[in-house]
Amino acid sequence: MKISFPHMGNLAIGVSGAVRALGGDVVLPPYTNKRTLSLGAKYSPEAICLPYKLVLGNYIEAIEAGAEALLMIDSPGTCRLGQYSDIARIALTDLGYNNVEFINFDLYKGKLFEIYSGFKYATGNGNPLDLIYAVRIGILKIKIADKFDKLLNYYRAREIEIGSADKKYNKAIALVDKALTLKECNDAFQFGAESISGVEIDTKKQVLNVDITGEIYVVLDKFSNMEIEKELGKLGVQAHRQINLTDWIDKSLYPSILRFGETHGEKAHKLAREFIKRDVGGDTVESIGDTAFAAASKNTDGVVHLLPFTCMPEIISQNILPNVRNEKDIPVLSLVMDEYTGKAGFVTRLEAFVDLIQRRKNSKDQVGVLLS
Amino acid sequence: MKIGIPRALGYYNYYPFWFGFFGSLGIEVVLSDRTTKKLVSEGSALVVSETCLPVKIYMGHVLNLLEKKGVDIIYSPSIQSIDHKIYNCSKLRGLPDLVRNVVKKDFLLIEPTLDKSEKNQGLYQYLYESVAPLGITDKKAIKQASKVGWAYQNNYIGMAKDGMHPMEAMETALKGKVVIKSRKSDYPISIAVLAHGYNLYDDHISMKVFKKLENLGVKAYTSENLSAEQMQEGLNVLNTNLYWANELEISGAAGSFMTNKKIDGVLTITAFGCGPDSLMIERITRYAKRLQKPLLNLTVDEHTGEAGFITRIEAFTDMLFRRKRASIIQNLNKQVEIDLEREEISHSRETIVKV
Repeated sequence: MKISFPHMGNLAIGVSGAVRALGGDVVLPPYTNKRTLSLGAKYSPEAICLPYKLVLGNYIEAIEAGAEALLMIDSPGTCRLGQYSDIARIALTDLGYNNVEFINFDLYKGKLFEIYSGFKYATGNGNPLDLIYAVRIGILKIKIADKFDKLLNYYRAREIEIGSADKKYNKAIALVDKALTLKECNDAFQFGAESISGVEIDTKKQVLNVDITGEIYVVLDKFSNMEIEKELGKLGVQAHRQINLTDWIDKSLYPSILRFGETHGEKAHKLAREFIKRDVGGDTVESIGDTAFAAASKNTDGVVHLLPFTCMPEIISQNILPNVRNEKDIPVLSLVMDEYTGKAGFVTRLEAFVDLIQRRKNSKDQVGVLLS
Repeated sequence: MKIGIPRALGYYNYYPFWFGFFGSLGIEVVLSDRTTKKLVSEGSALVVSETCLPVKIYMGHVLNLLEKKGVDIIYSPSIQSIDHKIYNCSKLRGLPDLVRNVVKKDFLLIEPTLDKSEKNQGLYQYLYESVAPLGITDKKAIKQASKVGWAYQNNYIGMAKDGMHPMEAMETALKGKVVIKSRKSDYPISIAVLAHGYNLYDDHISMKVFKKLENLGVKAYTSENLSAEQMQEGLNVLNTNLYWANELEISGAAGSFMTNKKIDGVLTITAFGCGPDSLMIERITRYAKRLQKPLLNLTVDEHTGEAGFITRIEAFTDMLFRRKRASIIQNLNKQVEIDLEREEISHSRETIVKV
């Protein structure tokens, strides 16, 4: 059975790694692009959020590429995400794609069992040991990719020749994608980390630090957020992505008994309590907590809050963030992404924001000098 | 002691209960004024423009209570989930948090939480949280008061199901009466009007759609006319399970009405940017095509003009009238054909007998 799944940041590297380790056959749709969006938007309801349109576009392109089964997570996010697969199934049936199977990982029902039965069905390999190995490979690959992203953001903001860090990063990611065993993954990580660290940088450059938070899909997906990390890097800003797949895996996939220490979500919840008392689904509490956290840390100069248009939970955080901004004294830029967002206007707003936090930092430094 | 309840969102579904509950505990309930244009624009100024219309209106009502009605206690509940893992929309879940963060005034916010997915957040805990900030902590009295509340609520639901306009039913129920009216029943066309109560019964949002339909000679049915079981069956028609806390009144009712032969068409009214509705309407639209039921989706926001709204409803009813006429004529023609055939047969029999 040829298996496919939608893109979301580094998810494809991990899932295809796990499926391949089990001996399954993966058909990847092309990385989300303009055609994906126009296909998805054409067959979606008008007022639905951007991620659904892209996911549906991914499905259609995957079926065109020959996929026979589609993987989908019904995560207990309790926003519209939980109904994506259901609505997509109706849309695909109406399009005439009747032979496609949906394999749902319903995380409501119990994490381990759903992962086991889902992968067993998809790949035909029911050996629990193989499965544990495959899941380990998948998770390791995602974690390595996230670490590379962090490294890349550090070097991209400081590189002397623009684009050199990206070249090394692409090579390193390709190597991780090819790796078949845990050892190969670790080797690829060693090699990639060294190669990205080898980029020539200007060590004396004063770099601004901006945290990126918001709705998980647009924060992770490079197409829908217009490669915001790269754009910030070009402006000499080191982006810190606060919402990562690594954290999401720690939060949602690991059974709570096997978890040690405080996850990112728990930390954010604690900080957000001052402003929002109850969980409202999605990543709202994380967004607010991350902003409060950024205000508390000395190194962070500003926060960019990303959300898709009509996202229900993030509208709550968009309403509450001005209050956080005033009380905690931290610049926040909320950017709403939809299919009509133009790149030029987007970059202009980022530039204005970076100018603002640069001036703010300079004046703060001056006050610091005067006081000392 | 006076508490203010905004005439928006939950008011349209639960007000008789709150009235009975608070009244029996000796708390006076103050309602905000009816929605006006000014109230909407004042509410919209508080929140970001992407927020949906009902929530903007809610903020306007909160302001109205604080500024015009002289109330300094606002009752704003958060209905998280109504059953295990059946959650509400994020904006309704975070409603008190939203009020606390955007209304920059000095007032006491009562923010009880009803969450059936959690163990200790059921109805009685919710009611306890509703009155504990006012100094009432006697659990027995609260239980007793909730019974009074349910009496009012059940009267309201009963009358609304019988076919009375829900707002009329609410007024009657608040007076403590139950009235069952005999109604004129010869309408040529029946339409099911599907929307959340807070959109449908707020005359500013729905632009008095019931009156307009009545003038056009159309009988309007709403989800209030159905029982919970009928709506549950409706969900099965649409091949889905309950996902949203307020899904029954849209998807469930749609499934039930679309398989009902008495109903000639379905009209849905949604607020722009409503998350749950976008998915429910998508499902209903696709199934309406499969079940061959005429469907009109209307999306409203604070800029919707009444003229355009009415024109579309008129065009839709015109279409339904034509469709009905055509089907009646078709049926008549069929009947005539059958009659003719019969005549021929009997005629030929007669000739055979004669021969």
